[in-house]
Amino acid sequence: MGDLVVTGIGIITALGDDLKSNHQALQEGKDGLSHLQNFDTAYASTRYFGEIKHSDNALRKVLGVKRAGVTRTSLLSQWAFEQAIKDSQLSRTEVQAPNTAFISANTVGGMCYTDALYSDANTKAGQPSPYITAYDNGASTLYIQQAFEMRGMANTINTACSSSANAVMYGARLLEKGFADRAIVGGVDSLAKFTINGFNSLYILSDEKCQPFDEKRKGLNLGEGAAYIVLEKAQNAKGKKVYAKLSGFGNANDAFHPSSISDEGTGPYNAMKKALDRGSLKPSSVDYINAHGTGTENNDITEARAMKRLFEKVPPFSSTKTFTGHTLGAAGAIEAVFSILSIHHQEIYANLRFTTKMEGQRLQPESVYRQSTINHVMSNSFGFGGNCSTLIFSAP
Amino acid sequence: MIYFHNSFCISPQPVDLNELQLSTHNWLTVMEPSYANIPRGVLRRMGKAVRIGVGAALPLLENEQKLAGIIVGTSNGGMEDCIRFLNQVIEYKEGNLTPTNFVQSTTNAIAGQIGMMTTNTDYNATHVHRGLAFENALLDASFISAENREKSIIVGGVDEISTYNYNIDFLAGQYKKEALTNQELYSSFTEGSLAGEGAAMFLVNQKEEGATMKLEALRTIHSTDPEDVKAVLSEIADDFKIDAVMSGENGDIRLQHFYNNVETSFPQASVWRFKHLSGEYPTATSFALWVAMSILSTGKIPALVDVKRSKSALSDQHQTILFYNTYMGLQHSFMVVRGVKK
Repeated sequence: MGDLVVTGIGIITALGDDLKSNHQALQEGKDGLSHLQNFDTAYASTRYFGEIKHSDNALRKVLGVKRAGVTRTSLLSQWAFEQAIKDSQLSRTEVQAPNTAFISANTVGGMCYTDALYSDANTKAGQPSPYITAYDNGASTLYIQQAFEMRGMANTINTACSSSANAVMYGARLLEKGFADRAIVGGVDSLAKFTINGFNSLYILSDEKCQPFDEKRKGLNLGEGAAYIVLEKAQNAKGKKVYAKLSGFGNANDAFHPSSISDEGTGPYNAMKKALDRGSLKPSSVDYINAHGTGTENNDITEARAMKRLFEKVPPFSSTKTFTGHTLGAAGAIEAVFSILSIHHQEIYANLRFTTKMEGQRLQPESVYRQSTINHVMSNSFGFGGNCSTLIFSAP
Repeated sequence: MIYFHNSFCISPQPVDLNELQLSTHNWLTVMEPSYANIPRGVLRRMGKAVRIGVGAALPLLENEQKLAGIIVGTSNGGMEDCIRFLNQVIEYKEGNLTPTNFVQSTTNAIAGQIGMMTTNTDYNATHVHRGLAFENALLDASFISAENREKSIIVGGVDEISTYNYNIDFLAGQYKKEALTNQELYSSFTEGSLAGEGAAMFLVNQKEEGATMKLEALRTIHSTDPEDVKAVLSEIADDFKIDAVMSGENGDIRLQHFYNNVETSFPQASVWRFKHLSGEYPTATSFALWVAMSILSTGKIPALVDVKRSKSALSDQHQTILFYNTYMGLQHSFMVVRGVKK
């Protein structure tokens, strides 16, 4: 089995509409967190969000989507998908070929339209909303599959906050086992009253901009976005631009609690360890960790403990959720893109707003942007249900 | 591919499939066991999807320590919890809400809970690709199994029917508008099907010894063109001698041409159906696989299943079964399973 390489990237987050603007914000240390504009919720002005400022109609207009019933989740997905295939210079024929797979992750699906869902779910009388077949997680994937008339394997994954890291892994396995020759993999999620209230009910939404790995951390900020990468077998990508290779991945379960990670970070440790093992990499070869780093009390301390256990000397690490907020089902893919950028441009991104080390921890995230020699980057994604996943990207 | 060693199913029917349990108000709902192996406090907090998923998985784990993964296919997960939480969001105007429904509603709560209750810290994944969620879970299981040849994997399909997803899918035209029982499902010739639910779990690995059946082929396509379906069927006909067709016929007149085609494409094969037993749901093929596994392990074909020829026994030589199912005429699944000779 040869290397799997990344030949195309598409991304939209609160930092910007494309790879270039996201990269620029990361370099300049400018976060995309703000109060909400696009929809009304009780928390619109009391919490910070990584909101993409384009309205649904604006997204539709740019994408040229005319038909009704296309959700924000599908629109964001299409936005990043189109960029990824363009960046990889895939022809329409290649996108539609039976050997091109599409694996997408999300957690909220069409539930971003809370009020429409409320009326559709609570009565079977009357007229359905235009989103009646678009609420489930599979809907946005099927929308892309149909819009682009894709004939290859398609799948949707939801393992909560680690969803799109698992989409990358599943795509990689499809390539390795011969079910596809290229895979467009990643994820999407939109901000929704559903998730805002869900995380708020768990008391883990901060009323300030998040401060991962900081003693003063008060919780996470939710965000939205989409990112896809085009994975190809290296032997099929000759002559193409190659950003990085996917050199390792690991999935493990923490098996501790439905919504928090065990004290010792068993799941995070095992996910990171498996990813290193799969890539035949030593811990000391990791140059940068794009941490899960949500900014919650539980995540950051357990992730830090797991890193300390695995690494004799913990490599430079930061949470780019300080820029984008926690984009849930899109986070694994967005942070995979940032990890790839880190290799491509030989640089480390800041963990913004860091001031104070966590009690009893000597670990300290990178607090400013800097250039550095980067060969291997680890990207962590952990979620509810104990689902922990790690990806490792390496210089091509 | 993988060998199937054990299975457990919570479905609208009794395990022996002797007597048809009738649908009520166009629903086929599961007959739940007492869940003696789930602590009461934990059980109380579980929504139905989590309960039946965990309830179907735990019996397979009693004598099995070395698991390489827990992989679940579910289109909707805990739909009831999901909308209950949503309703609170609206009705309490985003006030102080309790998180239980929110946490239970995430689709990965089923696989996560199984991992937690069995302290299994290995691979854990949830596939949610609507009508192909279970098929992708099964394919994933075959990948993980090939990488962990000495260990077994729990893989299954779970979906629940609640008032909420019934309303949504009813409005989307997926269910019968007229009152109907499952006895009349195949003779209604109207649009829509009956609502169903279930959880079927399988213990799979790479070992032939002691196995009941082997997954020989798994294909999934997305297409509304019957010619694409025919093309896959003809490839399968070239590769396998099919002895029985497990047809996902669901009584929806709009989809009947797909099922007619598969049921007549293998003239020598028996035709089995299962949706009058399970009802229609996105991961119903997991129930069909459980039915086939029961048939292959006992050699007896329940009369309820062999709807066309009423054969009652399966010969030792003819144990290759093709499963064909389409969800809403866009997602199509093809599985070939062969009985393992004892």
